[in-house]
Amino acid sequence: MSKLTRRKSMEYIKKDYVRTRTMPANWYLSSYNYKFNITHMQPLREKLKQKKIVGLQCSSCNRVFFPPRLVCGKCMVKPDRWVDVRETGQVASYTIAYIKDPETGGVQERPIVCAQLDGSDTSYPVQLNPNIAFKDTYVGMPIKVHWKDNPEGGLNDIEYYDIAEDDSKDLELRKD
Amino acid sequence: MGRQVCIASAGFSEHASKRSDVNMPELISEAIEDCLKKVPSVDIKDIDAFVNGNMPAFEGSSIPELWMTDWMGARNKPLLRVTTGGTTGGSVAISGYYTVTAGLPGIDTVLAIAFEQQSQGDTATGLASVAYGEISVLNSLGIPYDQLTALFSAGAAIGVASYQATNYMRKSKITEVDLARVVVQNRHNAAKTWWAHLKMPNLTIEEVLDTPYISYPLRYGMVCPASDGACAMLFTTEEKAKDMCDIPVYVNGVGSVATETFPLGYCGSGSGQLDPSEQLGAQKTSEVAFKQAGISFPRKEIDYAEVYSPFPNQELMWVEKLGLFEENTASLMYETGVTASKGELPINCSGGVNSTNAIGASAMERPAEAALQIMGKASNQVPKTVHTSLGHGWGGYVNLITMMVMADEPARKFK
Repeated sequence: MSKLTRRKSMEYIKKDYVRTRTMPANWYLSSYNYKFNITHMQPLREKLKQKKIVGLQCSSCNRVFFPPRLVCGKCMVKPDRWVDVRETGQVASYTIAYIKDPETGGVQERPIVCAQLDGSDTSYPVQLNPNIAFKDTYVGMPIKVHWKDNPEGGLNDIEYYDIAEDDSKDLELRKD
Repeated sequence: MGRQVCIASAGFSEHASKRSDVNMPELISEAIEDCLKKVPSVDIKDIDAFVNGNMPAFEGSSIPELWMTDWMGARNKPLLRVTTGGTTGGSVAISGYYTVTAGLPGIDTVLAIAFEQQSQGDTATGLASVAYGEISVLNSLGIPYDQLTALFSAGAAIGVASYQATNYMRKSKITEVDLARVVVQNRHNAAKTWWAHLKMPNLTIEEVLDTPYISYPLRYGMVCPASDGACAMLFTTEEKAKDMCDIPVYVNGVGSVATETFPLGYCGSGSGQLDPSEQLGAQKTSEVAFKQAGISFPRKEIDYAEVYSPFPNQELMWVEKLGLFEENTASLMYETGVTASKGELPINCSGGVNSTNAIGASAMERPAEAALQIMGKASNQVPKTVHTSLGHGWGGYVNLITMMVMADEPARKFK
């Protein structure tokens, strides 16, 4: 099996072929049409118009999804039960982005948080109240939905999230 | 049960931010030359099949294997291309393992090649193909695009990692100094590795903490570079590997498990994994791979580990989640020097992804370096004898974790 002969390599030595040409090119991508099912979001949209939040619950593992999804990846079951989700929640995770303002050129510090609403088992990225200083953000910070004046039926109706007071009444209710 | 697979050799090309002196085929050829140089008895004609892969569309060339076969020596031979995003390298290595272990007639020796030449193009095209599907769903929910760009400005891999970092830092009560310490160790190790990219032998913690934030808590000095480079690994059967090299490296366990990603889960409908530093996928992957390898106490039995850590917080997170250290103790191990190259359990002695990141190749450089440490041919060889090592990879759209467990003897068979 073993030959132990001198291997015939390609003997390609870069020193002999020094020059490399660089050709600039632009790649304009075409337009695409992505398809998504929005049927399962219609009940949520109707509720958002009334300033109410609902989530989809998986009948197998009882996890509540907000925003709703068509399939529960854990159980491979179609969630089909609509349950109410509270307006209060907490920060599941956060980071601070440094965004360059294109007009002034100044760098703006801005917290980006992932919110988990009470009653749901998922988190999604949201905007905080722009008046909050970034040092006040922490994991587990209680937050509250701030609604738009005229809801149109979309997730955008939640304009941003305010810092909520951790009131004891609410905590006692949760124990039940 | 398939055939026992061995790694006979592994090779790297030189990594740099811009390898403008070579084009993509030349880069691959460099890695193959380095790989075959270590096994003088093997000719390119002895290789029966090829597996290759890189991150799709990062270089602006979609199917590079079509015009690179001549440079790989793969003409008229079975050729397979695997791409799974950030874990492409790990998946290519695992595919090489699968090809050999399947025991197909006439296919014994497989060359796996992973490469990336990021300086050639813009990574935005490749990332858009991954991210845009998710973003569109939020569009359908009624969030306009201009608001989305503000939300995702912490975007791409660093966006995901900074969420992991904040949660991990809160859980294990560490500060940025601990993160900087990991970076300093990696950069020092990279200085001793000939193929590494960011070689900084005199870097200090203060210098790292002096750089501006990219996305809290990750600073400019902490993040990985974008490199050009390639990596090649030679997989073969046990009998042939004994002829080819002195110390064949036995592949005893492989695993690749995907879990829910963070912050956007399936179809952009939020993430069920509330704590992004929990990483159930990594725990499951290590469970699968260690079970195959017959390892019950990884903390005792693993001698060397290469983990995929573009960002320092991830390195601390992975070594815990893969079962190498107790929860929330990893930063202490870096402080006391357990993970240094002279320590008890050396980690990332090549400098890791933190110092060299040619995305498509990165996840394969981990098992390649871990195998070379067992053979004793690594560039920054650890002083102690390495019997068992692991190489780990992370990335992909749904948080895919790959892992390969290697040893200098076959896995113990339990009956």
